[in-house]
Amino acid sequence: MSIIRLALPNRGRGGSGLALAMPAVLLLLAFFVIPVAMLLLRSITEPEPGLQNYAALVGSPTYAKVFLNTFFVAGIVTLITVLIAFPVAWALTIMPRPWAAVIFAIIILSMWTNLLARTYAWMVLLQQTGLINRILISIGIIDQPLQLTNNLIGVTIGMVYIMLPFMILPLLGVIRKIDPSILQAAALCGATRWQALTRVLLPLATPGIASGGLMVFVMSLGYFVTPSLLGGTANMMLAELIAQQVQSLVNWGMGGAAAFILLVVTLGLYAVQLRFFEAREGTR
Amino acid sequence: MLLDFRKLGAWKWALSAICGLMTLFLLLPILFIVALSFGSSRWLIFPPPGWTLRWYEELFADPRWIDAALTSAKIAVIVMVLSVVLGLLVSLALVRGRFRGRAVLRAFFLTPMVLPVIIVAVALYAAFLRLGLSGTLVGFVIAHLVVALPFSIITISGALETFDPAIEDAAILCGASPWEARLRVTMPCISHGLFSAAIFSFLISWDEVVLAIFMASPSLQTLPVKVWTTLRQDLTPVIAAASTLLIALTVLLMVIAALIRKGKAR
Repeated sequence: MSIIRLALPNRGRGGSGLALAMPAVLLLLAFFVIPVAMLLLRSITEPEPGLQNYAALVGSPTYAKVFLNTFFVAGIVTLITVLIAFPVAWALTIMPRPWAAVIFAIIILSMWTNLLARTYAWMVLLQQTGLINRILISIGIIDQPLQLTNNLIGVTIGMVYIMLPFMILPLLGVIRKIDPSILQAAALCGATRWQALTRVLLPLATPGIASGGLMVFVMSLGYFVTPSLLGGTANMMLAELIAQQVQSLVNWGMGGAAAFILLVVTLGLYAVQLRFFEAREGTR
Repeated sequence: MLLDFRKLGAWKWALSAICGLMTLFLLLPILFIVALSFGSSRWLIFPPPGWTLRWYEELFADPRWIDAALTSAKIAVIVMVLSVVLGLLVSLALVRGRFRGRAVLRAFFLTPMVLPVIIVAVALYAAFLRLGLSGTLVGFVIAHLVVALPFSIITISGALETFDPAIEDAAILCGASPWEARLRVTMPCISHGLFSAAIFSFLISWDEVVLAIFMASPSLQTLPVKVWTTLRQDLTPVIAAASTLLIALTVLLMVIAALIRKGKAR
């Protein structure tokens, strides 16, 4: 046995294998870890050492509005996508197969379609003379075209469109694993449909809602492309603030400070999720 | 009851309706862009008053669009190759390695996927300004590689986990050298994972917007950067034509990826 072990590269020899990962480790150290660390460092060293950048970010009403916009949009988008994704994921689990397969393919296709192409579609659809306004006028709901772009309405619609797949897929993964006989048991015990939904199906789907919801919320917080194209400069979100500070104002200290806040919130929320799931796993 | 479609009763129709509306919501904007790209209205009136190929002609007549597309393709191919090679090496280390801290290393490799791209973009922008890589092909490749690598690692290590190393051992015991066994036994068996990783890495690089905006210079830009700068000026139908070609490419690559998965299942 030990001779065989010596002959086989995948057995024995403790420590083997790490060297294979080294090129990628070096790449990420040089072009990910160090640059991000340097950026964060600049938030407390530029223009002079101290916390003045953070004080400015927290103290000014202009920046307060950016934070408010960011958390508001991320929250609303998460809520809407959960409300749509839950029935969709539920339906996809139980629908006759060809239908479910076609709808699933469309979800995946939409997710991988170029982000700018999808955002452009909504810029055209939502503009003053766009199709949405024309349909609303022709069926008599409104008289004047609504302002749907360059504000948070446009951002919300565009973001819901882009985030939906990220909510449906985790939810689908969880609902698919639920044993149908549990719901049969609920029915046999006399539960009405509504009771079975609220007391059995929803609680069992909660891990999916939590992980999908968190992912959508976190991704929305740091989203750049859709908010800047559909929201305009007057309705800035956090990622746009970072880009503006660095690119237009060349204020690396402020840009770094805003990036640090985004980083802490993102990693903090993921840490909460890891904790939450480990706790759940532990109780089983 | 609730997880049996036939026994849902009236709820069946409600669920189907929500599902149908959502599908239309996802699909119609994409079809809308495709239709507009062939429509004759410069003001993007829908339904279009007539049909034309004018926007495609304008697109192909403009060397800036062609250059941007070629740059995008060049970068995406280089990123694809590097991402698969590095992803394979990392996956071998993560799946087969016997060292401590593999879970930590795995988490480390996935962080670029988790962090908001804007942070990576701004950080690399600063670093590249200092290193003189700003606006260069190398800069683009490095930036795209950082975000493509996690997807490559997930896909390839997933394929490697389902492959029993005992088969590779058997080849070695039959007289193959370790590298021969890896190349001629393991590689063909995980090829579906390698191909998927290649397709996803290509698409991630090809579609990357945020990093590319920060890496681009007036003389070197990718297709998404060109779309971005044009979009900020006006909503010309030429973008609809460009978008349609991008959508066509995505559909093509997704079909290839699906065929690869099917081939693996067989």
